[in-house]
Amino acid sequence: MNRFATTPLVQAKLRQEALASYAALGMLVCILLPLFGMVGDLVWQAAPSLTWQFLTTAPTHGMREGGVRPAFIGTLYLVTISLAVATPIGVLAAVYLTEYAQDTWFNRAVNIAVLNLAGVPSIVHALFGLGAFVYAAQLGYSILSASLTLAIMTMPVIIASTREALLSVPRSYREACWNLGASRWQTIRAIVLPNALSGILTGVILQVSRAAGETAPIMFTGAVFYKAIQPGTLLPYALDEQCMALSMHLYTLSTQTPGVAASIPNATAVLLLGLVFLVNSAAIGLRTFLRSRGK
Amino acid sequence: MVRLWSRDAVWCLGVLLTMTTGCSAGRGQRAETLRVRGSDTMLILAQAWAESYAKVDAHAAIEVAGGGSGQGIAALLKGAIDIANCSRNIKSEEVAEARANTGKEPKEFVVGCDALAVFVHRDNPMDEITINQLAEIYRVGGSLNRWSQLGARIPAGRDRIVRVNRQSSSGTYEFFRDHVLGKRDFQLGSLDMNGSKEVVDLIASTPGAIGYSGMAFAAADVKMLRVSPAPGKPAYAPSAANVLASHYPISRSLLVYTLGEPEPAVQKYIDWMRSPEGQRIVSDIGYVPIALGGKLTANTCGGAGAN
Repeated sequence: MNRFATTPLVQAKLRQEALASYAALGMLVCILLPLFGMVGDLVWQAAPSLTWQFLTTAPTHGMREGGVRPAFIGTLYLVTISLAVATPIGVLAAVYLTEYAQDTWFNRAVNIAVLNLAGVPSIVHALFGLGAFVYAAQLGYSILSASLTLAIMTMPVIIASTREALLSVPRSYREACWNLGASRWQTIRAIVLPNALSGILTGVILQVSRAAGETAPIMFTGAVFYKAIQPGTLLPYALDEQCMALSMHLYTLSTQTPGVAASIPNATAVLLLGLVFLVNSAAIGLRTFLRSRGK
Repeated sequence: MVRLWSRDAVWCLGVLLTMTTGCSAGRGQRAETLRVRGSDTMLILAQAWAESYAKVDAHAAIEVAGGGSGQGIAALLKGAIDIANCSRNIKSEEVAEARANTGKEPKEFVVGCDALAVFVHRDNPMDEITINQLAEIYRVGGSLNRWSQLGARIPAGRDRIVRVNRQSSSGTYEFFRDHVLGKRDFQLGSLDMNGSKEVVDLIASTPGAIGYSGMAFAAADVKMLRVSPAPGKPAYAPSAANVLASHYPISRSLLVYTLGEPEPAVQKYIDWMRSPEGQRIVSDIGYVPIALGGKLTANTCGGAGAN
């Protein structure tokens, strides 16, 4: 008998090994198939409308023809302003919670509240934004109201992800800095934030896709079905006006406008996907760059 | 790293500055922003008006939003918009609220007419229906649940009536409840859609479905039923002629409301909507233009909508 023959025990182990790896691979395929199927189908259906003009012209003929320029620019407005508001507040709040706050019941409660807020459905934020910004703060239906509502929606996630990034900076870095006589703020600025920067940026940029994709919060506070904007201007909206947005455009085209060619909503979806993909790639690129500098 | 941070700060400031200058530049070019919000039935009409009006008056920037007649009126009463689109008449409690909140009366303008069309699947053999039958299908405790009760055989054996309805902020929903159900409540278990197009799309793909929406949403793959006011009375199709002749029993006015006397730019826009040019767009979209030149009374559109 060949003494190198596998024993039944080893054979069973190898069978299990093969089974486990095929099962895991099967699950991966289960995820990838719908993903590629969906994106492929979207692009296929959108193909007739995917031209440069789609990005640079306004919708015409009852939104059945033309492009999505006002909606595209509106989405850029909303995302930029909401993150410009949410990022500094969110990051500084996380800095306080991680670097300054004592471990008291109150701060633990705040931490749990932040995590819970991150899971609140967007329609709740929408109603809050309508009551707080549109009516109570008298901002009216406007880009400002919509952006602030999006900021409120994204802030808890930014706080949570920033906290994770700050906590991943080893405590010994801080202690070394303190021992050189640096104050807490000096330590945060020179050591903690630079080392956590890539993590913080990842958290913030992931919120770009959320801010760009949500419909409910902006529908209630400042996004419109249609707005005629002047062609050719780079910044056609003022902050106290309402704007069109890609997500809203997609939703209303599908629910309200009869006789729209299927390629237009699909192309809008592709554009939204492309925007998110671009921003996420930029985030990954930036993170790799920052890491390569040893930060 | 610190240098990078300060550069970031400068960049952020730059973006903010550009935005503010963008705003002030915008302010200079644009005299008026008109906020229009409300009825989903009128959304495509309001959009077409806004698109064409940009060529008439380049200084007016029209913002059109939907959400339903109820949302439009609610926003108007709080002074958040200039014009509320409404596919039903304003309610007395809403007028009272406007008075209490702002001391102003909502002002009503008829801008078009609509026949509330009843849609079924194209394979449905029915051609006409009475108001009473509609009420029995939709009202709470209604007696009609199966197509066979109406003498109709739906292909593929789908006998159950699938009731397609609208969300409760819709003016179409309220108009239907007031004028078809006699202010009784809707039966639960209907499919509530957020837009007229959704209603028509769903009916087109559901053999046993019935639903209602503005006549402009007529499509090739659904059938519009003729509607008769009572058993034994003739049934009429939802057409422009039948609306103007007051034959069609559930026709209604398409309205816009302003809070108090409209400002000059708003008045100009509403006048334009009711001009021959604006009314041609009404008929292009698929609604019924108001009688031009004639007196515009609340009775313009005839039928149940006039009250």
